[in-house]
Amino acid sequence: MSRRLLTRPVATAPDRRRPVLVLPARLRQRARPWLLLAPALAVIGGLLCYPLGRVVWLSFQDYGLDNIVSGRPDYNGGANYLRLLSDPYLWSVALPNTIVFAVVAVCATVAFGTLVALLLRSLRPLWRTWVIGCVMVAWAMPAVTGTYVWIWIFDVDRGIVRQLLHALGLIGPEGVNWFTERLSFYAIVTLNIIHHGFPFVAVTVLAGLLTIPRELGEAALLDGATAWQRFWHVTVPTIRPVFAVVTILSTIWDFKVFAQVYLMPGGSGSNAEVLNFGVWSYVRSFAQQNYGMGSAIAVLLTLMLLAITVVYLRALFREEELR
Amino acid sequence: MSPARVLSAAAVSTALTVSASACATGDFSEATALDVWIMEGTSPGAEAFFSEVSAEFEQQTGATVNVQFVPWADAHNKFVTAIAGGTMPDVAEVGTTWTPEFAQAGALADLTDRVGDTSGYVPGLLEAGTFEDRRYGVPWYVGVRAILYRTDVFADLGLDQPRDWDELRETATTIAEETDDMVAFPVPGNAEYSLLPFVWGAGGHIASQSDRGVWTSGIDSSESRAGITYFTDLALADKVSTTGATTWQETDIQDNFADGNVAMAIMGSWSPKAILADNPDLEGKLGSFAIPGPEGGYSPSFLGGAHLSVFNDSDAPDLSWQFVELLTRDDYALRWAEETTYFPGKQQQIDTFTETADPVLRPFATQMTEAGRGVPVTPAYGKLQGEKVLQTMVQSILAGDASVEAAAIAAADDIEQTLNEDP
Repeated sequence: MSRRLLTRPVATAPDRRRPVLVLPARLRQRARPWLLLAPALAVIGGLLCYPLGRVVWLSFQDYGLDNIVSGRPDYNGGANYLRLLSDPYLWSVALPNTIVFAVVAVCATVAFGTLVALLLRSLRPLWRTWVIGCVMVAWAMPAVTGTYVWIWIFDVDRGIVRQLLHALGLIGPEGVNWFTERLSFYAIVTLNIIHHGFPFVAVTVLAGLLTIPRELGEAALLDGATAWQRFWHVTVPTIRPVFAVVTILSTIWDFKVFAQVYLMPGGSGSNAEVLNFGVWSYVRSFAQQNYGMGSAIAVLLTLMLLAITVVYLRALFREEELR
Repeated sequence: MSPARVLSAAAVSTALTVSASACATGDFSEATALDVWIMEGTSPGAEAFFSEVSAEFEQQTGATVNVQFVPWADAHNKFVTAIAGGTMPDVAEVGTTWTPEFAQAGALADLTDRVGDTSGYVPGLLEAGTFEDRRYGVPWYVGVRAILYRTDVFADLGLDQPRDWDELRETATTIAEETDDMVAFPVPGNAEYSLLPFVWGAGGHIASQSDRGVWTSGIDSSESRAGITYFTDLALADKVSTTGATTWQETDIQDNFADGNVAMAIMGSWSPKAILADNPDLEGKLGSFAIPGPEGGYSPSFLGGAHLSVFNDSDAPDLSWQFVELLTRDDYALRWAEETTYFPGKQQQIDTFTETADPVLRPFATQMTEAGRGVPVTPAYGKLQGEKVLQTMVQSILAGDASVEAAAIAAADDIEQTLNEDP
């Protein structure tokens, strides 16, 4: 409305005498928002779209060390994708490792984080500050450090878990190598990820919990709702968007887990059955100098994440509209 | 030809001459500084060593040297990035298995004519620096692995150094039975160079190339399988290793040896010094012997180490070569060997070094001269290492996921596929 009001005098006045000037004036009007957006778009374009575009461009090439030196592209059409999608390793190892692990890790992280948030809500301010402080330590720990701590905890010969289980008589003197089996390997990765990821969930959900009016819970209590019912029918629907954000972000993080797998014994390639998409892409690109194939894996991972995010957001908005 | 054309042609040629001579003078003025990359982690005293070498070089030639230390772990990526971005150094230390790869990529200068007579160098290392019959790397130092053991443990149990594979197994079994909480002989699942002596000792090999250039893997031959079986059975049947070693790398062996948890293991000549630095209590308790052969003699061990290479886009190839010559000169080569406990790259320097070095290093010299061996020299070998084909094979056997036969056949397929792939 305001736009039309603004443009009219400018557009009509020169219309009779010099129609040539109309276009620039209109263009200027149209260009103004884009001009204002330009700095932000330039930064996003430079930092996000350029690398993304380059990865897509690389994924259609047979790109190796000699191409890096010569700078010559070497297109092979969709051969990388064809080889990737027909590789049984993708379907039997990399994809299940990535998806099953992400589903388990996201559910566990969100559940545990929410429990911690509920605990925090019921604490007095002093204790709450203290507990949040402790929780933050887990969050602040760098991924590499945290991973090595978990490796030591599960060290086959001298780890605390081995000593404990041995003392209880559950395992023999030769011990168990947790890192060679896919399931136990990912169980340790999951523990590591939950440990590193729950503080974010806890703090974010706590922020949501504190916005829920106290009366809602009290009303439900008077109606005879149990704690379980109050949580599912009052708390969860009220802060559903918070859960959505937390879940989407956790999903994205857990799909592209890298250091927590790569640094584990056997995780950098010698144990082929434990690689996920991120590590697989890295090993293909940098250990084997097959940058084209590595990029194709990365593009596939990005597409998967985009699809998941779109489905999530649509489900979320549809529910919002229904209410 | 019209007069105007003649004029412009003359102008162009003048311009070309001027710019060409400008380039030439530019070369001369830029050639007063050399960029040199040296791997970090080989020797803790490298900085003092290089400031001395650089000072002498400046005195000789007037050119300054900027030495940059690059950690081994990042080095390959850093080289690749530098090659891509055209920010390569003039001279660099290059790991021996990388030299053919970078040479094929066109990043290294052909040094064949400069090196001249090559008879003095360690043959295996010289070969590793060769690509399509041209030399791209000058042997600088050699690393070899033999067996390092605890003399105190051997003395307590009345054991002698084993001379063949049966004795090696018996020795390890005795240690495993008689000691508590000590790994007699770790069988690591993530260390290819601990496996190879047994493959080679049994008469097997990784891969060989036919006259037509096709690679065939020998890792699934009956000889190789016998070696792999002996090696993995030490863990699975004789129980002289530990479950944890299934995922051990060489650094884990060294750490555990330094902690006093390991009685004997395949380790490099650079390990004793590092172990004593970590745990001085082991002083005087370290001994070594060359890896025995199945029926006596020796099993071959991998000859690793580093080359010195000149990069193709160096402004000052002559100066760069002078620097390489200075570093490989007898006195500096010997000092570098003393500091790193790697061996120098020339046979005669090795002999001099071995006479004066710590006695624990002498069996390593024997191992190197009597039974040192290289891996297949091809640019694709780096990819094979990146794929960790041999480690995957050993780990799957140790974890009980595959039989020796199945794992070896799978590894042979992978090796042939990778080595025969178009670059």
